[in-house]
Amino acid sequence: MQKELNPLKAPAGTRIALMGNEAIARGAIESGTYVITGYPGTPSSEVLMTIHEFGKGLDLYAEWAVNERVAFEIALGAAIGGARALVTMKAPGANVASDPILSAAYSGVDGGLVLLIADDPGPITTQTEQDSRWFAELSKLPMLTPSNPQEAKDFVIVAHELSEKLKLPVILRTTTRVNHTVAPVVTGDIRPPCKYVNFVRDPPRYVRAGMAWNRERHAWLLGQLSKVEEELAGFRVNRVEGSGTRCVVAEGVGYEYVIEGLERLKLRDKVKVIKLGQIYPLPKEFLRHALNSCEKVLVVEELDPYLEGKIKELAYESGLKLKIVGKMEGLLPEVGELGVNPVVDALKRFLNLSLQVETSISPLAAPPRPPPLCPSCPHRNTYLGLIFGILKAGYRREEVPIFGDIGCYALSVNPPLNAIWTEHSMGASIGMAMGLKLSGFKGPVVATIGDSTFFHAGLPALAEAIHKRVDMLVLILDNEVVAMTGHQSTLTWGRTEMGRPTKPLKIEEIVRGMGADNVAIVNPYDIDKLVATVKEYLRKPGVNVIIARAPCALHAARLYGVQKRYTVIPEKCKECMACIKITGCPALYIGEDHKVHIMIEDCLGCGLCAKYCPFDAIVEVKSNE
Amino acid sequence: MSEVVNILIASVGGQGGLTLSRVIALAAVADGKSVRTGETLGMAQRFGSVVSYVRVGKEVHAPMFGYGEAHAILGLELIEVSRNLHYLSNGASLFTADELKPPISSSLGIADNPRKADLIKEICSKARKVKGKVYVVSAKELAAKLGNPRAMNMIVLGAFNREFKILSDSAIEKAITQLLPGKKGETSIKAYYVGKSLNIVPIC
Repeated sequence: MQKELNPLKAPAGTRIALMGNEAIARGAIESGTYVITGYPGTPSSEVLMTIHEFGKGLDLYAEWAVNERVAFEIALGAAIGGARALVTMKAPGANVASDPILSAAYSGVDGGLVLLIADDPGPITTQTEQDSRWFAELSKLPMLTPSNPQEAKDFVIVAHELSEKLKLPVILRTTTRVNHTVAPVVTGDIRPPCKYVNFVRDPPRYVRAGMAWNRERHAWLLGQLSKVEEELAGFRVNRVEGSGTRCVVAEGVGYEYVIEGLERLKLRDKVKVIKLGQIYPLPKEFLRHALNSCEKVLVVEELDPYLEGKIKELAYESGLKLKIVGKMEGLLPEVGELGVNPVVDALKRFLNLSLQVETSISPLAAPPRPPPLCPSCPHRNTYLGLIFGILKAGYRREEVPIFGDIGCYALSVNPPLNAIWTEHSMGASIGMAMGLKLSGFKGPVVATIGDSTFFHAGLPALAEAIHKRVDMLVLILDNEVVAMTGHQSTLTWGRTEMGRPTKPLKIEEIVRGMGADNVAIVNPYDIDKLVATVKEYLRKPGVNVIIARAPCALHAARLYGVQKRYTVIPEKCKECMACIKITGCPALYIGEDHKVHIMIEDCLGCGLCAKYCPFDAIVEVKSNE
Repeated sequence: MSEVVNILIASVGGQGGLTLSRVIALAAVADGKSVRTGETLGMAQRFGSVVSYVRVGKEVHAPMFGYGEAHAILGLELIEVSRNLHYLSNGASLFTADELKPPISSSLGIADNPRKADLIKEICSKARKVKGKVYVVSAKELAAKLGNPRAMNMIVLGAFNREFKILSDSAIEKAITQLLPGKKGETSIKAYYVGKSLNIVPIC
């Protein structure tokens, strides 16, 4: 790639199309961030992935960590020594990291520490529609929210400056439509990396075992928060556009929808738009001034009516006579993401314009396309092996709950596998299976958990289950990569994305070391062996672990190409549909001739469909891609 | 045409819908225009429904647009096109590959398994309601002839840009080279020009 097109190395003043997360990565480089870490999670993953793709040769540490709390602790450790650090995670990851985050507010930092928390209104790929702006209040850490990729980049730099000035970690909070939007971004100057400066022993600051120290630091923290607005004044993260007595307060991508909506209504100069980039603490001085000439205020924000409540509180305590409306009055929805249309509707109601309904045609009733496991996915075999093993052991499927966890394998919930019964949060499968079993559930319980999720949060739960002697079968689905978020490294790799040599951890050694009663490693493509092992382990007391190990088929195809594919001989297909009903492989379909066909360019050659074809109608074809 | 052109890309995960949206964004910036894209991806790496919103113009703010606001739909798969027809604006154009990838729900008999010809007919009858034009391109076949069926996304891009002329050829070449270095990029550039030189007429 030419240097001016490399988002991390392009000279200052280059205008490039960048995704929000790429812009944040660029911001990290411009701000001299030396330690960049995190745990993969949509929509935050591309920040580190961008550095992995384009940052070779740069002087920095940019690596995934085992989970978000360890990532945060690494970043914190770097920042207390004066280095600049950035740590990235999706919203549920902030929950995982919350313990060290809250304590870090009391100790503070010397080098800049920026915590990226990416929320996912919609939700598009997340278990909840968590609004992490509450996290700023909870942790008492300053928070900035950008509206677009340019701001996302610029705010990384602002956040570092603020962080170092106040000696506090600063949260950069985004939503999917900022992280995953591509827009033109103009680059700035790159400063050299800010590495370790010094770290001196200072127990009142860094030891939370002293309660008097904690009270003292709490008071210090409140004092620092009172300076945020003043410190940010020079950065213009908050601004007023237009004028008038009818005002809109907006933040994040909501601001972009407001501008678009006002342009559509040809009212951009007639309405005052108050844009906030500083979310916590509320920039009260700025707002009091900006709201002074307003009579009516509409608050546009994604997810909870957070700002709306804060602004009502501010108006009350400042004696401002304002009519403030937003989600609490039902002008905008609390569920799902915003868009131009709902914002235009809210603006029309707010401005008493006629609610003329824009007409559009209806779509066709298309067959649903729930996300499936990929063709050749080893998880398909693992769940099939598990289901057949349950049946072989003499149980009915509905007698054996299969606890699921977070990762691609959760897609086994869909037909035809209909496999997992639960999927809650990282690592929850083992603890929940244990809880059901010890509560008096008589049958066997099964926990299924991916390799990276096992390292992330499964280890303590498995230790607990083994220690308490609770009978269960644990399947660790080891596809040797964090697949769902785009193929990131795990602790079993011998070298990271940046080329850093590492010590690969062995799941079987860990599990045996913990004291699991029986441990087997099975290749899920050897489905008969998997079925036999499941049957045996379900009947044996103790915590029995099967490591179902085979590389992610998609990742392997990208790395090594595809050696064989499968096709259907139409004359031999008797339309029994066994292949489709058993595997649910999305590369299979029924053609207009009512026979099964294979989308050959999508087949990765596992041959599972051929195995279950009673008529030998599915045959291998060579491929050299 | 209004100042901002709204393009919706409807595809199945793995077909190159995201690459297509990125190429348009890069090319728009190379042409000195403003651009915003928004992607709605599923949880699957492959075979989910993927919708990309691309907005090109002088000044663009929102990364998405609403129903009835797409000036063009670029389709890589017919079921996904039919799922998104409510985005068509009055007089919009639809450029789609004649590709059909029935989802597992169709194969399992949980949902309909539409026939290609019926689907195209239904798409036409819906598009007619907004005086839309529908262009159907055998994109995969044409791309396969160039050696890579995955370059079908650039065939559709070529067909679109032939009618809309919003991006310069040089900007598109630059964007493709930037995104897909090597042989893949060369094939994609060829595919773009094949798409652009197609003398296609709307089938309805």
